Amino acid sequence: MTDRRSFLRGALGAGVAGVAGAATGAGIAVAVTGTPAAAADVATSPTVTIPFHGVRQAGITTPLQRHASVLSLDVEVADRAGLEEMLRTLTDRARFLTRGGTPPDPGIAAPPTDSGVLGPVVVPDNLTITIGVGASLFDGRFGLAGKRPAELTAMPTFPDDHLDPDLTQGDLSLQVCAENRDTVGHAVRDIAKYLRGAFAVRWRVDGFESPPRPSGTPRNLLGFKDGTANLDKTDNALMNRQVWVESDAEQPWIAGGSYQVIRKIRMLIEFWDRIGITEQENLIGRRRDTGAPMDGNAEMDKPDFPADPVGAATPLTSHIRLANPRTTQTEASRILRRPYNFDNGMDAVGNLDMGLLFVAYQRSIARQFATIQKRLEGEPLVDYIQPVGGGYFLALPGVRDDKDFFGRTMLA
Amino acid sequence: MPVATSALAVGVVLAALAACTSSSAATAASALNVTVDRGACGASWQASGGAQTFDVHNRDIVTTEVQLVDPASGGVYAEVESLAPNTTRPMRVQLGHGDYAFRCYPEDADAVNGPTVRVTTDAPTGSAAVLPVSGIDLAGAVKSYQAYTTAALGTLAHEVATLDRAARSGNRSSAEAAWLPAHLAYNRLSAAYGTFGDFADAIDGLPDGLPGGVHDPDFSGFHRIEYGLWHGESMATVAKTADKLVSDVAGLRADFSTEQIDPNDLPLRAHEIMENTLQFQLTGGADQGSGTSLATALANVDGTQAVLNAIAPVMESRYTGWPTVGTWMTTLRTALAAARRPGGGWTPVADMPAAGRQRIDAAAGGLLEALAPIAAIGDVRRTQ
Repeated sequence: MTDRRSFLRGALGAGVAGVAGAATGAGIAVAVTGTPAAAADVATSPTVTIPFHGVRQAGITTPLQRHASVLSLDVEVADRAGLEEMLRTLTDRARFLTRGGTPPDPGIAAPPTDSGVLGPVVVPDNLTITIGVGASLFDGRFGLAGKRPAELTAMPTFPDDHLDPDLTQGDLSLQVCAENRDTVGHAVRDIAKYLRGAFAVRWRVDGFESPPRPSGTPRNLLGFKDGTANLDKTDNALMNRQVWVESDAEQPWIAGGSYQVIRKIRMLIEFWDRIGITEQENLIGRRRDTGAPMDGNAEMDKPDFPADPVGAATPLTSHIRLANPRTTQTEASRILRRPYNFDNGMDAVGNLDMGLLFVAYQRSIARQFATIQKRLEGEPLVDYIQPVGGGYFLALPGVRDDKDFFGRTMLA
Repeated sequence: MPVATSALAVGVVLAALAACTSSSAATAASALNVTVDRGACGASWQASGGAQTFDVHNRDIVTTEVQLVDPASGGVYAEVESLAPNTTRPMRVQLGHGDYAFRCYPEDADAVNGPTVRVTTDAPTGSAAVLPVSGIDLAGAVKSYQAYTTAALGTLAHEVATLDRAARSGNRSSAEAAWLPAHLAYNRLSAAYGTFGDFADAIDGLPDGLPGGVHDPDFSGFHRIEYGLWHGESMATVAKTADKLVSDVAGLRADFSTEQIDPNDLPLRAHEIMENTLQFQLTGGADQGSGTSLATALANVDGTQAVLNAIAPVMESRYTGWPTVGTWMTTLRTALAAARRPGGGWTPVADMPAAGRQRIDAAAGGLLEALAPIAAIGDVRRTQ
C-alpha cells in the first residue's frame, strides 16, 4: 500500500519544507499577464525572469529559449490525492526555479537541497516549465475519467509514422526551456529529486535552437530556415484564435490551456545530404541559402500560390505548400510551432541520430495539427524524415498566484 | 503593444529581484561575524528571527568544528565542519524565537561554548534543531547489527555448503536450485561498498574492472558460479569455484568476529545498500544468467531493514521522515514481489512489463531519497 504523501514527507518534506517556504516565498511581485513574456530580445542575461504566474502558462508564446528538454512522465502515485500532492510539489519547484533564489540550507538534517550546478544562488535564465496532461491520466486511476476533454486522445499513428511505443505518449509532459543547457538540466534534476517516487520517465528529448545562420529564422538540421511563416506570438488576437483554449462548454476547466502536440521527427540526414540542391528545395518549397520562397527573393517575401496553380515554381507537393496553402479556408488550421533541433548521438548503423523535436500549440488538434498532418500525408519529404515518437497533451491552464497549483481546475 | 506589456512585466520582476537582492544585501550588511579559537567560541551577538548568515572565522592554528546549537538540548541548527585556521565560511540558518549558542570543537582540545543568545523578534519559527549522534549513541546499534550479521553469516555458510555439495555432485539443476538461496543469504547481509573488504569481491564481485572479464582468473564467487551454471560450463569447473567460495565465506566469518565496526558505517549503509541495488540489480547489470536480479533486490531490502532495525532507536527521535522510510520499504517490497513467478522462479528485469519495472524504479528512487537524510543525521559528531 502506498502512502499518498510519502514522496513529500520523506527526505525533502522533512524539516526542509518550513525553510523552503521562507526562502522561496519572499514577496516578489509577480506580473499576471494574459500573454506571458512575449518580449523579444530579452534572452541573454541569466538574471532575466519569465513570470511563472499567469492565467496561461509560460513557455508557449514565450520567445524560444536556446535550450530545451521535453520529458514524458508516467504517474506512479496511488490515487487522486497523491496526484494533487505531486502537482503541488511540481508547482512549488517550477515557481522557485523560474524565479531563482537561494535554496534553503538543511543544516545537519539532510544532504544539500540543491545540486549547486547553477552556483549558490539559482539564476532564472529565462527558464520556463510548461506542464501538459495526456489522455492516459484520465483513465480510472485518479477518478478523472469524466474530466477528459473529448479532443484529448492518444496520438494516432499517421500513415507515414514509425512510432516506437517507448517514445510515445505518457501521463504528463514536461517542457523545460532556458537560455543555457545547464539551467535546463538543473531544473530537470531538481524536479526529479523532489518528485522522486511519484513518476517514471517514459521518454526524454533534449533540443537546441540554432542561432540565425547568417540571419533571419534559425535553421533546422536539413539546413533550411524553419519557422519563417510561424504565427506572430505577439498578436494576442491571433493567439486567442489559434492557440489558447478560451472556453470549453463540456470541460470548462481547460480554459486558459492549449493543446500541445509533440513529435520526435528523426531526419535521415545522410540520405538527405546525398540528394541534389534542386530536389531539396523542391521538397521544402524554399531556397536553402536565403530561405526565400521559390517565387521570391528574400526570406520574408510571401509566396503567391494562386499565381502558380500548377506548381511550376513551387511544386504542389512541396512541404510549405501542403503545410500552409495560404488560403482563406486553411487559415484556421495554422498552429504555433515551437520546435527545437535534436542531436542524440549515433544509431545502430552508424548514422547521426538527428532531427526535429516538433512542439506545437493550438486551440484544437482536430482543426489544426491533425488537419495539417492529413494534407501532408504521403508528401515526398517523408522519404527523408521519420516521426518516431511524441504525443498529444493539453498544456494546463496557468498557475495564477502563490496559492494556485498546476491542474487545480482539473482536480476541482 | 504586447512587447511593451511583457517588457514591463520583465521590468517588474527585475525590480522585485533587485528589491530582493537589496534586502539580502541588508541581511549581508548585518551578517554577523563570529570569530573562534580554542579560548572562545564567538562573542555575544544579536539577531532577529528569519534567514541569517554568520561568517565564521577561525583565528587559531588548529582546525575546528563550529555548531550553532540549542544550549538546553544540544540540538544542532547548523554547522561548519573542518574550519581550517585563517579561513572564514558562511553558516546559513533560519532563526526563530529561542536560545542559541555557538559550540566549537577544536582539534585535540575540549569543546568550547559561546554565550547563549536569546532571539525574540521577527519570525517566531526557525528551522528545527537535530540532536547530534555520537559514537556512544550508536553503540547499541553496532551490537545489534553484529548479532544480526553473525547469525546471517551462519546461514550463509550453511547455504554455501549446500551449493558446494550440489556442484560437486555434478547435477547442474540441483546446483542451480542451491545457488539462489545461497546468493540471497549473502545479499541479506547488509553489505555495500567496502563493508567486507576483499572478501566482498571474492564472494560477490562482478567481472567489471577485470581485464579478462568473465574469464578473468580473479573473477570468483557467486557471480562466477552463476556464469558457469547458466552458460553450460563443466560442473567440475563450477565445483572448483564453489570450493573456493566455501573457504572465502569461512574466511569472512572468522574475520568478522574479530572486526571492529565503525559506528559511522551504519547510518551510511542505510542508503548505500539500496544505491548498490539500484545500480547493479534494477539495471540487470549484475546478472550473469540466472535472471534473479529482482530476488537479489528483495534480499537487499531485507539487508536494509536489518540496518534500519539496528539504528531505529537513534533515528526515530531525530528524523521526522522516519515513518516515510517504512512506507517506501513496503511499497518497494510489493513492487518487487510482482517479479516472483507463481510457480516459483523470478522474472528477469528485462522481461518485466514496462509498468511493473517503472513501479519498482519509482519505489526504489522514493526510498533512496527518504533514506538519504539518515546518513546526514547519523554522521557521528563530537558532543564534548
